[in-house]
Amino acid sequence: MPLDTSTTYPLTKLRLDGRRWNELRLLQAQISTNPASSGSSYLSMGNTAIMCSVHGPAEGRRGDASGAGGSAGAIVDVEVNVAGFAGVDRKRRAGGSDKQSSRIATTLRSAFQSHLHTYLYPHSTISIHVSVLSADGSLLAAAINACTLALVDAGIPMPGLLCGCTAGMSGSASTPRDPRHDELDPLLDLSLPEEQELPVLTVGTTTSVPVGENNMDDEEGDMKVAVLTMDSKLHYTYIETMLAVGMDGCNQIRELLEGVIKGSSRA
Amino acid sequence: MKSLRRDVSSNPQAANVTSKVFVRSTKSGKVQKIVRELYLRQDIPCSSKLCSICPSVAPADASGKIAPFVLSDRPAGTKAFPHGHYLVPDTNALLNGMDLFEHTGAFYDVIILQTVLEELRNQSLPLYNRLLSLIKTDEKRFYLFFNEFRLETHVRRGPEESINDRNDRAVRTVAGWYEEHLRASAKKGKKEKSVPAMVVITDDKDSIRKAKAENVTAVSLSDYVAGLEDSEKLLDMISEAREARDSKGSARGELFYPEYYSMSKLMTGLRAGNLHQGVFNVSPYNYLEGSVKVPAFDKPLLILGRDNSNRAITGDVVAIEVLPKDQWKSPSTKIVDEEAVTKNDNPDTDETEAIVTDRERKALQEEVKQAHGKHSEGKPQPTAKVVGVIKRNWRQYVGHVDSNSTASQAASGRRQQTVFVLPMEKRVPKIRVHTRQAGHLLGQRILVTIDSWDRDSRYPTGHYIRSLGELETKGAETEALLLEYDVQYKPFPKSVLDCLPAEGHDWRVPTSKEHKGWNGRRDLRDLLICSIDPPGCQDIDDALHARALPNGNFEVGVHIADVSHFVKPNNAMDLEASVRGTTVYLVDKRIDMLPHLLGTDLCSLKPYVERYAFSVIWEVTPNAEIVSSDFTKSVIRSREAFSYEQAQLRIDDASQNDELTESMRNLLRFSKVLRQKRYDAGALNLASPEVRIEAGDEAGDPLTDVKTKAMLETNSLVEEFMLLANITVATKIYESFSQTALLRRHATPPPQNFEDLINQLSKKRNMELDVSSSAALASSLDRCVDPKNPFFNTLVRILATRCMTSAEYFCAGAHAESEFRHYGLASPIYTHFTSPIRRYADLLVHRQLASAIGYEGEDGHAVIEGVSTRGKLEDICRNINYRHRNAQFAGRASIEYYVGQALKARGEKMAGGGTDTGIEEEGYVMRVFENGVVVFVPRFGIEGVVRLEDFVLPGESGVYSVGERRELAVHRTTEFDSEEYTLRVEEKGHSEKERGVNVELFQKVKVNVSSVKEEGRGAGKRRVRILITG
Repeated sequence: MPLDTSTTYPLTKLRLDGRRWNELRLLQAQISTNPASSGSSYLSMGNTAIMCSVHGPAEGRRGDASGAGGSAGAIVDVEVNVAGFAGVDRKRRAGGSDKQSSRIATTLRSAFQSHLHTYLYPHSTISIHVSVLSADGSLLAAAINACTLALVDAGIPMPGLLCGCTAGMSGSASTPRDPRHDELDPLLDLSLPEEQELPVLTVGTTTSVPVGENNMDDEEGDMKVAVLTMDSKLHYTYIETMLAVGMDGCNQIRELLEGVIKGSSRA
Repeated sequence: MKSLRRDVSSNPQAANVTSKVFVRSTKSGKVQKIVRELYLRQDIPCSSKLCSICPSVAPADASGKIAPFVLSDRPAGTKAFPHGHYLVPDTNALLNGMDLFEHTGAFYDVIILQTVLEELRNQSLPLYNRLLSLIKTDEKRFYLFFNEFRLETHVRRGPEESINDRNDRAVRTVAGWYEEHLRASAKKGKKEKSVPAMVVITDDKDSIRKAKAENVTAVSLSDYVAGLEDSEKLLDMISEAREARDSKGSARGELFYPEYYSMSKLMTGLRAGNLHQGVFNVSPYNYLEGSVKVPAFDKPLLILGRDNSNRAITGDVVAIEVLPKDQWKSPSTKIVDEEAVTKNDNPDTDETEAIVTDRERKALQEEVKQAHGKHSEGKPQPTAKVVGVIKRNWRQYVGHVDSNSTASQAASGRRQQTVFVLPMEKRVPKIRVHTRQAGHLLGQRILVTIDSWDRDSRYPTGHYIRSLGELETKGAETEALLLEYDVQYKPFPKSVLDCLPAEGHDWRVPTSKEHKGWNGRRDLRDLLICSIDPPGCQDIDDALHARALPNGNFEVGVHIADVSHFVKPNNAMDLEASVRGTTVYLVDKRIDMLPHLLGTDLCSLKPYVERYAFSVIWEVTPNAEIVSSDFTKSVIRSREAFSYEQAQLRIDDASQNDELTESMRNLLRFSKVLRQKRYDAGALNLASPEVRIEAGDEAGDPLTDVKTKAMLETNSLVEEFMLLANITVATKIYESFSQTALLRRHATPPPQNFEDLINQLSKKRNMELDVSSSAALASSLDRCVDPKNPFFNTLVRILATRCMTSAEYFCAGAHAESEFRHYGLASPIYTHFTSPIRRYADLLVHRQLASAIGYEGEDGHAVIEGVSTRGKLEDICRNINYRHRNAQFAGRASIEYYVGQALKARGEKMAGGGTDTGIEEEGYVMRVFENGVVVFVPRFGIEGVVRLEDFVLPGESGVYSVGERRELAVHRTTEFDSEEYTLRVEEKGHSEKERGVNVELFQKVKVNVSSVKEEGRGAGKRRVRILITG
């Protein structure tokens, strides 16, 4: 059995993969990987690899009463598929999606439904397909980033890049903070073993594209939290720190994604 | 299509990312390939205070702090390394010498590598946990270096390289790098000072050779220790299991235990008499030694070692096969504790386990030597092995999680892990339990059950049931005790309470004699009846009277609460009572057999009120000869409820001459005659180490509540008449129900049981014990007196009692009449009649007696249910025998717990923050082992094992902490003479006469009793520690 973070981190301040607390995993991304779709991306954060393709905005299917027909804007439709080979054990699923992937899909749908400028495309559907090729933690965060890239590639207008990142807390986070030993050990961008061990918070933030001059002067105030989920039990006194670390991670990711997008348009 | 391959070249950061790939196999046999990323970096500090480079690159943590540097700039030197040295141990060195690394005399400035820590964790979790706590302490200067993440020291496994070789290479690489790094960095700082040497400690010869080739200093652990001062002492601490560890490489999925015989083979064998069936019992002193009593032999057969006991747990009904004569051994003379021998086992790994660990094997070998030694005393005894289990008697066990077996102390982990649960019952092996809440369970009393014990697993597997609460809290410990002894303690259900009289506390004996309640009842309300009980007794079972008759004889009556009037057969209350079997008395709690209303009010023969009773009335001559006896249901009114002391005072008070007092004086006079008659017939006066707790005021010293039971004359007054009533009733019901009468017998113990005691007495005191009959035993026990030591006689009686079998309920048809004898009371027939409120057997006997005297009950037809069917009675007997025994154990355990708590409270009060100095008492040696003795302390009625470290040798200062004491054990040697029952304890190398301590059997010793927190098996139980001080 390998070591675990909660024992060794306090001793060495190094995580199980050799990272420091505030370091992201190696993030690599490409866009326009699938020419057949309207927009597509491939993104890997460490060993988590995700492929995403966007189709549309396309006309909503006729007769679909609840769908695009009645709405004033486009409907975002997300499908998430975690490949059977993504984890350590190969899983064969008897059709349909499992709980994990449908939760990710629901979160992505509601995040992008309100994030994108859907009012520009009434009576249409934007469908996003996310394939998880390899799962090694921070799945939702990676999926958000991949979708953002693919949607940019598809040319769908949005106020800013929606970037996701996870933050965790090492130590006994289910008990209240001890005011005397105010040493917090937040961790950024958790891998799978860390996720299984520690409480995890996923945060997604966005900024609006600076339009006017007044937007230029304070960037910080413009950042908005668009996604925030947490499944673990955690004492509330730690939330603020974790959120701050997560948002800082989102900023780092935003720079990386911007680099990817800019680099790609040059090529 | 674009290629999606990770393009490393374009990203400068990616160059330092590598991955670690390893394969692991799960319990179910699946093979998993795990890929982990590794981010190699150059900012992991060397943590040496000499270094001038690292402080500038060392990164800060989230709060902006840089971890302080650990390794000293002036490390200690030895002969071989005059300029000082840093140690880099490999995994084996830690496995073998963890005690050394913890030693405060040497082993400072140690660099623990990530590689080593990880390997150690896989090998032994307890050692891993010990190492972690070492790293956490500042004074030992241990530094955990994450070598796998440092670019320069990261080592990739070669294609043909074994994992061990790779790890060894990693250790050497680190040593090399450190050497170079320090030389480079220290140069800038203090030029004149030479750089400390890096010393790799490894026991792998190959690695030492390779190190030489790579120009790295490497020595073996023993060589290194040999170069230190005080090396002799230190060398002792190297684990003996070393060679064995090196050769370990046993195949996976190995089967540790032999297979059981098939059922048909067992049955044939049992029928043919080749195999025997019996209950497997583990010795309380040695967990590797069990015994099985089988009908075919007089003495129990020994079962030695795990191999032979083959997964049987104490209490199981097993089939055994006798081993060939060359494998016969004598029972061990050693105290062997499971936790002491196997404390470093790892619950997760099955593959590294051998069925008998090397230490266990060693312990066993020593015993064989003993058996084959020249002493005729320890002559080999027949041994056997378990070949099949007829019936598992697994139950739920109360225990706690062994904190050494959990992976992390953090409570946040949600990962499933495997931990050991140590049951409170010492004779049950530790239980492997999978749990996701190990962190939460630490420090809790928990209830677990055993699920299975497969051939390929060294320990049984079980699962967690529920938590009882924190260790050492009163609630949890009481519940644990009740669960452990299977006491039904749930409140009575509504169906039971519905059976109570509707009037509740207002119930009265009907005033009109026409009422059906008076049917068949004699009016004894005018008799001067009183009850004598322990102080504060609420459930008064019995009351007595005596009066002169006109013919010069006396009428003596024993009146027992008429419980059978209220508890009708086969209703919910009766069933509940039959399951509970008995009332259980704990120090501060009573678990009733019958609902409160009946037990303490309606049935209880309280004074000044009328109550239904069942009376036994004798006519006796002034010389206490019984003329006639009579049984009747009755109505009585007790005049007074005395406590033993009150009654005694009243009898002794010459100024009191009223009728009630006179009748008590008569009773006392008769009881003395009866008692003498009984002793003449050969009744035994047995002793049990009983103390009673009198809950006193809070303010005082809690220990003063612990009292040895005082025997007043009035105690034996009540006792004699109860015995008489029981015997009279037994004769009566046996007359009427020759097959189904519920009786109680105490089998004559086989003389072999006394062999050891006879031997010991003749050797040590030149005394004889005649066990040919109970009368002979009684008189020979009376002769076992040591004028200098008044307690000696009691001690012998306690020991003699242990040699006997226990009394049991049975139904008359189950044994021949000659077997009915009650050995201890020297009565040919006996039953229990006098305590129906607290014993179910008495209730049944009441019903039988009512039926025997033709009592027709309230509604006119006799109540014969529960009287007539033998099969059902036998079931009941089995249950009440079991409950009765458990109730006794529970009561004793409760007292033991109380004494422990009282000692603790006293210790805390006395010490006032300092150390607990315990309390000085007298003790007596009850048993002598090769590595300890068992001492009985009469003051508290407790007996305890005194281990080597708990002997205070002359010249030693009094009390040490438990931990310090434990260390002492290593340096002690003993001389044990099994023939003379003596043990001499001395320090290694100091064999001068005055430096050792001699103890022998029956010796009176001065002991120091204190309560210490146990870490192992008894955690929370607060072991009562006994130090022999002289």
